[in-house]
Parts: sequence; C-alpha cells; structure tokens
Amino acid sequence: MAATTTTPFHGVDDVIGLGRRIAALIPGLLLLATVGYAGKFIEQSIGAYTKARHIAFPNIEYVLWAIVLGLIIANTVGIPRIFAAGVATYEFWLKAGIVLLGSRFLLGDVLHLGGISLLLVAVAITLSLTFMHILGRAFKLKPKLTSLLAVGSSICGVSAIIAAKPAIGADDEDASYAIAAILALGAISLFTFPLIGHSLHLSDKAYGLWAGLAVDNTAEATAAGALYSDAAGKVAVLAKTTRNALIGFIVLGYALYWSSCGQAQAVGNKAAFLWGKFPKFVLGFLLISLLATLGFFTKPQLTSLANLSRWAFLLTFAGVGLRTNLRELGKQGWRPFAVGAIGEVFIALLTLALVYGADRYLYL
Amino acid sequence: MSNSTSPSRFSFSLDSYAVALALVLALLVRLNLLPPIKW
Repeated sequence: MAATTTTPFHGVDDVIGLGRRIAALIPGLLLLATVGYAGKFIEQSIGAYTKARHIAFPNIEYVLWAIVLGLIIANTVGIPRIFAAGVATYEFWLKAGIVLLGSRFLLGDVLHLGGISLLLVAVAITLSLTFMHILGRAFKLKPKLTSLLAVGSSICGVSAIIAAKPAIGADDEDASYAIAAILALGAISLFTFPLIGHSLHLSDKAYGLWAGLAVDNTAEATAAGALYSDAAGKVAVLAKTTRNALIGFIVLGYALYWSSCGQAQAVGNKAAFLWGKFPKFVLGFLLISLLATLGFFTKPQLTSLANLSRWAFLLTFAGVGLRTNLRELGKQGWRPFAVGAIGEVFIALLTLALVYGADRYLYL
Repeated sequence: MSNSTSPSRFSFSLDSYAVALALVLALLVRLNLLPPIKW
C-alpha cells in the first residue's frame, strides 16, 4: 500500500499493479469474514438453543469463538500462502474499528477516562520498564532484546517493538524473539484475564481499564475487553489507545539512550521523530468522538457507526486466531519467553492494583 | 513472524488508510447514503 503513496504514478502499469495487490487480498479477507461470521453464528446458535430449552448456560461471546476457530485452522491445516496477504489486513480493520468506536464516546468521557489511563500508564510504564531491565539482566538477555521486550510489554506490543527496532538498531532476530514472546503472552491473556476479572467481580469499567493497561497488543487488548462485556471492550480500547499514543515518547527515549552509547543512529529532529511514531488512528478516534459530542450524528446513525465498528472488530478477532502459530512461537527459546512472562505477570498485578486504587479514589 | 512485521513497514499508510476509510464510512452514514447497519 505504501508504494502507491511514495512512488510516482506510471500509468497503466501502476493501476494493474494496484489491482493485483487488491485482488491478492480477497482470499484472505474472505477467510477473515468466514471465520469471524462463523464465531458470531456459533454464539447466536448456542444462545438460541439454550434459551429455547431454558438451559442456564453462560453466553460465550463470538470473540472467543472467532479466535478459537482461527487458532484451530492456523495450527492444524495451516494458512495457505494465497490467504496470507488478506489475513494480514486484520490490523487495518482493528484501526478502522477503533476510529469508528470513537462515535460511542463523548469527548468528556474520553478526557476523563483517558486522563486516568494516562496517569496510570505513566506509573505502570516507569515501574515496568525498570522491572523488565532488572529481569533481562538476571536472565542474561542481550541488552537490546531486553529493551524491545520492555517496550513491547510496557507500551503497546508488536507495533512498539517494530517502531523501536530501527530506532535502537536492534537486529531481526531480537525483534522476532520479542514479538513471539509478546504474541504468545497476548494469546494467554485472552483466556486468563476474563476469568480473573469475573472471579474478582470487577466492574466493566475497572476490568476494561485493566485489560487496556495490561494486555500488550492492541488486537488482544480489544479482544480481552470484549470477552468480558461490550462496555468493558469500549473502555479497554480507550485505555489501550491512550497507551499507544505514548509510543513515540518511549521509543524516542530508547533511541536517545542507545545513540548516546554509540550503538544506534543519532536522532535528528525530535518533533518529526515523535510525529513519525505517533499512531495516527488516535487522531481519527478523537475526531469521530468530537463529532459525536457535537451532535453531528443522529442516534440511529450513531448505532450504525457502532455496528460498523463491531464488524471491523469481527475481522480483527478472526485475524488474531489465524495469525497465531503456536509451533513457531514454541521455537523461539524459553528465556525471552520467561522474561516476558514474568514481566507480564508483574505488569498485570501492578496495573490491577492501580485500577483498584483508581476505582476507589478517582471514581472511574 | 514475517506476517507480523509486514503491516508495520507500512504503519503510516496503514493508519492513514484506516482513518480515511472510517471517516468516509462516517460521512456516508451521516449523509444517509448507507442503509442502517445491523449487527
């Protein structure tokens, strides 16, 4: 996609090239839609069956079914090459879905919850970065791998690692270790967070805030929130988006540190660096929220926007399962995984304590 | 893992395209050019 924006237009060849690239996405997109819709179908079918027979059965959200179906396909028959490009678009749908979700927030709520999230994120990031570096040293990980794991687990998962990799001059192997560890831990959190939330009887807001602050990857944080409840999913996205907005500052900090050690290129224009790393979908989210607050949309229109966001997330959740290759994750070695896992447990407990405190003193 | 890294290469474009799509959809909904979206 970037090629079309950065290279000059060469006429018919470019159009054909673009057409081919779009056509290459279709099989994977159909797979995402099929798996996601199958998840929704299973949820509705079970709901209708148990209701008709008066069976007390907890509602299992389509989110879980879509992820599990995706996981089964990816780890049994595998994903043929023809589907790969389309499946990789799940992140695109995630971001479009988050922007559209802005319509479900009044700007005042965004500023209130976003402000609380910002405060908690600042505390959590400081403590978790310190903890991850102590752990990395204890497990004798390479310093740059530790930096990547710290950025990934304290800020925003895979995108943070990818943003930090060139900035600190880390190698491909370190990045793929860190990504594998973060993805594996994200998959585990999908199944553990809702269970912990229910056992602690967390409110939707408190749970959503916790999931948004503790689960690393945006797709998994969104899914972990939605698995608890619709309202919790909304709050999780907001908290995670706040975290994402800070990515540039953390990556800039690491880039300055590693360049001062002579092991990464110097950072020229810091404002341009920050803007380059800033996730632009955050601006789209705020814009839609502002328009909704100003009454730009009618109530039925807001419902339509919220439903469009749900459809976009449906494709995302199918992609989360389909791109998780458990065998490949297992090949990455135990030490980065151990550091990531211990760090994640620490961050999960820390953020849980922070959310408890915020719930009590800051009136979520 | 290559799949995980490929979107990031285009992170600026990916974000921009996603925002553009969402805004176009929001405008279409606002102008009632899309039927009500059900879930």
